[in-house]
Amino acid sequence: MAYQVLARKWRPKNFAQLVGQEHVIRAIANAFTSERLHHAYLLTGTRGVGKTTIARIMAKALNCETGITAEPCGVCSACTQIDSGRFVDLLEIDAASNTGIDNIREVLDNAQYAPTTGRFKVYIIDEVHMLSKSAFNAMLKTLEEPPGHVKFILATTDPQKVPITVLSRCLQFSLRQMTPQQVAGHLHHVLTQEGIPFEPNSLNLLGHAAHGSMRDALSLLDQAIAYGAGSVEEAGVRAMLGAVDQSYLFDILAALIAKDGAQLMVAADSIASRGLSYEAALHELAHLLHLVAVAQQVPGAIADDLPARDNILSVAQALSPEDTQLYYQIALHGRRDLPLAPDEYAGFTMTLLRMLAFAPAQPGQVTLSQPTPVAANPAPVARPTAQPPQATPVQVPPAAEAAAPDAPAETNLPWAQEAPAETSAPRDFDGNWRGLVSQLKLGAAGMLAQHAEVSAYDADSISLRVAAEHRAVATRDYQEKLKDALAAHFGKPVALKVEISEAVADTPAAQNQRERAARQLEAEDSIQNDPTVQALVRDFGATVVPDSIKPL
Amino acid sequence: MTHSFYPWLAPSWKQLVRGWERLPHALLITGEPGIGKRRLAEFLAQYLLCEARKPDHTPCGECDGCRWFLAGNHPDFRLLTPEDQSDAGEGEEAKTKRKLPLIKVEGIRELVDFVNLTPHRGGSKVVLVEPAEAMNTSAANAFLKMLEEPPQGVTFILVSHHWRRLLPTIRSRCRVFPVPTPAAAVAADWLAGHGVVNPVQHLAHTGGAPLAALDDARAEWLPLRTAFLGHIANPAALDVLGVAAELEKAKLDTGLVVDWLQKWVHDLIALGLSGRIRYYPDWRDDLARLASRAGNLLGFLDGLKESRRLAHHPLNQRLVFESLLFGYLEALRGKPRGTGHG
Ligand SMILES: [Zn+2]
Ligand SMILES: [Zn+2]
Repeated sequence: MAYQVLARKWRPKNFAQLVGQEHVIRAIANAFTSERLHHAYLLTGTRGVGKTTIARIMAKALNCETGITAEPCGVCSACTQIDSGRFVDLLEIDAASNTGIDNIREVLDNAQYAPTTGRFKVYIIDEVHMLSKSAFNAMLKTLEEPPGHVKFILATTDPQKVPITVLSRCLQFSLRQMTPQQVAGHLHHVLTQEGIPFEPNSLNLLGHAAHGSMRDALSLLDQAIAYGAGSVEEAGVRAMLGAVDQSYLFDILAALIAKDGAQLMVAADSIASRGLSYEAALHELAHLLHLVAVAQQVPGAIADDLPARDNILSVAQALSPEDTQLYYQIALHGRRDLPLAPDEYAGFTMTLLRMLAFAPAQPGQVTLSQPTPVAANPAPVARPTAQPPQATPVQVPPAAEAAAPDAPAETNLPWAQEAPAETSAPRDFDGNWRGLVSQLKLGAAGMLAQHAEVSAYDADSISLRVAAEHRAVATRDYQEKLKDALAAHFGKPVALKVEISEAVADTPAAQNQRERAARQLEAEDSIQNDPTVQALVRDFGATVVPDSIKPL
Repeated sequence: MTHSFYPWLAPSWKQLVRGWERLPHALLITGEPGIGKRRLAEFLAQYLLCEARKPDHTPCGECDGCRWFLAGNHPDFRLLTPEDQSDAGEGEEAKTKRKLPLIKVEGIRELVDFVNLTPHRGGSKVVLVEPAEAMNTSAANAFLKMLEEPPQGVTFILVSHHWRRLLPTIRSRCRVFPVPTPAAAVAADWLAGHGVVNPVQHLAHTGGAPLAALDDARAEWLPLRTAFLGHIANPAALDVLGVAAELEKAKLDTGLVVDWLQKWVHDLIALGLSGRIRYYPDWRDDLARLASRAGNLLGFLDGLKESRRLAHHPLNQRLVFESLLFGYLEALRGKPRGTGHG
């Protein structure tokens, strides 16, 4: 029972051990080395990228007995007590289980007293977005006039739910998701240190499956070690992840193109009998259809060395672009709705049959380079009456999938690497501020950019307006950073003017907000217009709770 | 207690025992409903709390730890479920009330105290959460810290029928332990051993899940379902108002009736488009008569998913059934309800 899971055992104890957050660590280390300290920091990023870990290392860096340092010693009593969770001047508050105002007030009332043994009283508030409004207000009072001995380190997976008044008082660091390569590299290190035998390819699989989260990766690695009874082998990891061999997917596509329902079920069964994951299968199928769609639009975009290239091109020929798009949508919806089917097998097969039902009237043939069983004639199954493709409740353009947190690592695709090389040939600013901002590396100064609208510009200067309520983000510091980023982007100095104004509407933040609201409305709309729900509302006076609807 | 341990769980148990020295503090047991995940979780909990484990890696069943556990009052064990299901028997998974069953944040807060107190007995403490997806957002968020770094000796066992509905932050803190749906032959043998006359058929009704199949075979509502399927198998003679009233009078769970209808429609579509029947092979002839209209039913199946999602809402049951049955008839006639929706 003394087993400590890898995610816990290998939680980094100092900045040097952290993987993948060099940009943030360099900034923090510089600040600490030169003792330029802020009183509040906000760490943002998705799950398992190191927010709490960094917060704890910062607590050590602030309180290490060797002095404020980017390299806490790890052996003094402050460092060791923080590592073992016994340091009296470090308060870790879990906002998610302390949403009440009383609790927070009690904690903050305590802030005025000097630290007991340490240099600073450090408050780590995890999942800070879960605080109630009144708790935020209570915290704001302390943030506005913080005692010199108090440091706040806030962490959240969802910064959009943190009030701007709090955001603007924090020095913000956004942690990145780890690349599959970074994850695999770290797993390699952990396994070597643990003396556990492994096959390197298995680590690549785990690296992708972790979706950018080191904790996910280490939890999966624990599972893989148990699965492999003490070693990590590629075949075992593949089986454990339910990773789907693309040949099954091409069998499915071939059966769809041939309009052969019986054969389609045979292909589905081969996935079932191998214990592969239906969710992974639909995910991979959507991804493959995405590639097919790319091949249809830009035939040259599929890299020559992609193993499935020939098959993708064959399918791209045999399917119409409309059907490809439709199948893609159906795959996405089918994956989302798996939990609403009587069981997963049913949800999976029904998704495939739905594609079949919407297939074109003429069965086709696809020539695949591997020997793939394709029925010569369509099976004598009942033909569904021809129906126009019906709109699915919410349309999801491919871009939305790419933006989803667990989307496949699109950047590894050959065509994704050929992103428009805008940076190599800087053009003058065209007035599209939001588009420009998305290309700049701004860090915390991004808050200024997000809350600014362009009032005037020419080739060498940009004038911005910031609403009075967001005055706090228009600091000189952020303006300088923004100016530097603009100069770096355009390859020449750009004069920047920032003025505070009353009515400011066209900022990237406001645009994002409006789009989110529109998507929400659309989602609510599609629920409200859903025939079943309409019937419920009409017949029983049911109401739809808008907050319960999430856009896709 | 081995005799009450389902035979198909033996490989899963072996797998757990084999990796014993690496048992994590948070295990997420996943799989289809009705295959005995809860039983496996309880067996593991008992084993963790047993004070005289047997050499064959099973709990002894006789020590204080085992006796308390089996009596349901071990001081170092907590079960967190949406409702008080203290009388949970073998086929516990099918029983649900007409109320959205949720695990709320208060339950988690109580757990914090339990987890942080010194254990009463040997040092192990076990928390079993089932189903984990019943935690609402604030409960799940409140659970995170505890789940990641519990005090020494605490083990969390989460059971989930639909792990995709869990917060990713919960999932990422657990080691997943998938339990497969048992092979049909093993499940059928076990059902036959429990006096089920036509095990293959009941397994089909439940998509292969043996505990659910046992419920299916023993259910009081069996004649009601037969009658219901008989009605929808003859749409021309279907008396919607009468059938809806009959169903309401039977005081069934809305979700159960939605499940019957969903499986029926699934079979109709699958038979029509691919020649397969999954759930009701005993109704083949009736399904075959209607299967030519399979293509019309896809939109209706979407609506059924929504009904499944809403099945816990305390809506007027009779009207829900009427609406579903009218929808079914219209779909068969080729007039999908509503516009702009599949
Ligand atoms: Zn130190
Ligand atoms: Zn015992």
